[in-house]
Amino acid sequence: MTRRVVILNTDIDAVVCSIERSQTLPADLEMADLEIYASYQRLLENEDLSTPLAAILALTEMMERSNAGTMFELLNELKGGAEALSRQSSNPIGLNAGCELFIEFITLFPHDAATFSDLKTELIQQGRQYAEQALTYRTKIAELAFDFIKDDSVILTHSYSRVVLQTLLMAHKRKRISVFVTEARPRGMGIKTAEKLTAVGIPCTVVLDSAVAYAIEKVDFVLMGSEAVVESGGLVNAVGSNQIAIIAKAANKPFYALAESYKFHRMFPLSQYDLPSHNPRLLSFPQSLNSTRRSSFGRRASESASTPIKITQEDIAQNNPDVDYTRPDLISLVFSDVGSLTPEGVSQYLVGMFAG
Amino acid sequence: MASDPQSAANQRIVEDLVSRLRRRQVVGSRATALETLLVLRQVISKARFSNIDQLTDVIRSVGRRLVEAQPKEHSVGNTVRKVLHHIREEYHTASGPPAVESSFSIAKFVLQGQPRRQTVIPKSEARVPLKENDPDDPDSFARVLKPVLMEAIQDVFDELETVYDNIAKNAKDHIHSDEIILTLGMSKTVQSFLKSAAHYRNYTVIVAETAPSFGGREMAKSLSSAGISTFLVPDSSIYALMSRVNKVILGAHAILANGGMFATSGSLLAATAARSYSTPVVVCAGQFKLTPLWNLYHEYGALDFGDPSAVLGFEEGDLVDKVDVVNPYYDYVRPELLDVFITNYGDHPPSSIYRLLKETYDDEDNEL
Repeated sequence: MTRRVVILNTDIDAVVCSIERSQTLPADLEMADLEIYASYQRLLENEDLSTPLAAILALTEMMERSNAGTMFELLNELKGGAEALSRQSSNPIGLNAGCELFIEFITLFPHDAATFSDLKTELIQQGRQYAEQALTYRTKIAELAFDFIKDDSVILTHSYSRVVLQTLLMAHKRKRISVFVTEARPRGMGIKTAEKLTAVGIPCTVVLDSAVAYAIEKVDFVLMGSEAVVESGGLVNAVGSNQIAIIAKAANKPFYALAESYKFHRMFPLSQYDLPSHNPRLLSFPQSLNSTRRSSFGRRASESASTPIKITQEDIAQNNPDVDYTRPDLISLVFSDVGSLTPEGVSQYLVGMFAG
Repeated sequence: MASDPQSAANQRIVEDLVSRLRRRQVVGSRATALETLLVLRQVISKARFSNIDQLTDVIRSVGRRLVEAQPKEHSVGNTVRKVLHHIREEYHTASGPPAVESSFSIAKFVLQGQPRRQTVIPKSEARVPLKENDPDDPDSFARVLKPVLMEAIQDVFDELETVYDNIAKNAKDHIHSDEIILTLGMSKTVQSFLKSAAHYRNYTVIVAETAPSFGGREMAKSLSSAGISTFLVPDSSIYALMSRVNKVILGAHAILANGGMFATSGSLLAATAARSYSTPVVVCAGQFKLTPLWNLYHEYGALDFGDPSAVLGFEEGDLVDKVDVVNPYYDYVRPELLDVFITNYGDHPPSSIYRLLKETYDDEDNEL
């Protein structure tokens, strides 16, 4: 009897899985869509490219392949490409910001090119040029943030962020700093940060995500990278950022976010569940467990004795979020290549950028 | 260039102000701003330059000297920055619209978000052609530009002269009848603000005496002589009285880029007390106090200390060498504790101060 129920459940799981797969990878997915995602993935292999830049470059590659004859066609294709990227990625926030910036730029591009193909080459050129130029932004941000790091500070950072890493490396050259880095489950990227910092001789300790409140009193300020900075002035970053920000606020410690300007994203989430990375599977209660309990209520004790329930790390990671949203009132300042902005400043900046 | 009599004269004026700043013979943000402006006017009128870069270099080097002399008087640096900003503006108007930006790039697109001032439409149609680096007549550039620059400096001057009136202008909109206002220290800005409101409203002011400078006593005297019902209270009773206070009005020494401020010691106490009663905190300050600085190391406040004998005099005898006495001039007040800044350019919440800064000064001058 119990056996049959279990089998039934795995069947249901399989069905759910296949439904989900068909949602993320619809059968009618066009060749072009697959192609753009492939080039996006290939670009991401470059250690220095962050998701928005990879998305911009993937769109320029798409433009190269495109044989659109008018601006309208080209824009339509690009929008389709951006959507295809966003559909195929599990966490599309960063790449959305890049696509949005590039497409908006193309819409407003004042063209005086003689032919459409000239214009297209120029736009492709612009995209490449920007991606190259944008790689220098991290140094710029590191310099801005440097003034805020005083000698002998203890810094808390979260997960792995290239811009935070660069800032810390730069600060280390001229000041004494020590760093707490959170482990950042489920991906454990904090360990990568710790390894890189330790390699250059920065005193660095990995703290558990659950030990942040314990450590906060020793910390002078928090440095946080970002996936995207949104229109409210808030921050989207690896999951756990929000709770660190709340703890920092409670302990009255400054919380500084670092974000390159291509991560400014025109999105206004009101809660965690408004992020495009949210889906119903996240934080869902397991169906199988509930139904087992209900159907075999009387025999639960004997059953659990025979087959003890095991929960693995993978199970946990599966229905947990990758990123979370941090409210603007928890953020002290956002350092970006366009200056150090207050969260209010970020929202004004975004309005100026896309409505100006 | 040291042999040049004109630059020698400039040197003398600058050095004179430097030493007076250093000895603290000129104190107060407005006084130092005015003195700085006078020196800059002299320097510019005597300076020789044949292009804009030479001119800004001259002003910057003078500015640097003055700021180094007294780094705690932030309005010195602010005035220099403001003059530089005006000079560049005048130069751009005089030299016609800058060449139309031919290249539009994504980076430029991103920069559209940058706060900027509305570009002024050039008024004078009859524009004298500006020639930079003219080899035949190197002074022609200066000759054309100087009158415009003098005018620009005069504008800054006028602004400083009228700053109190402009701030006090809207006082009656902020203070209502029968309100109880708490203030502390001696701030000319707050004083004129309160007096201006007294023309229209009948209200009460509680002044904390603000030890050890006791600026509050002076303030209370001046307010009550203007016919405002005034109470002078010791600093220690600020919290106790806060439940009855409708509004706290403070002056500022410098407004920082994050919206916080340096203000007379005691301001932090008043602002914190106000927060716990949710009493609004209003700050009155001239625009020349806007400083493009972040308070990086809060725990030290403004790092500006006065004479400890005001706290513990030598008459205390053997106690003096047993204790450390500190008498800081200023408190750092966090932006969260403040509600609004009333400046001669209108009212601003702390969060938009950084924007005001971007409009007032040029980014490249933040470091003189």
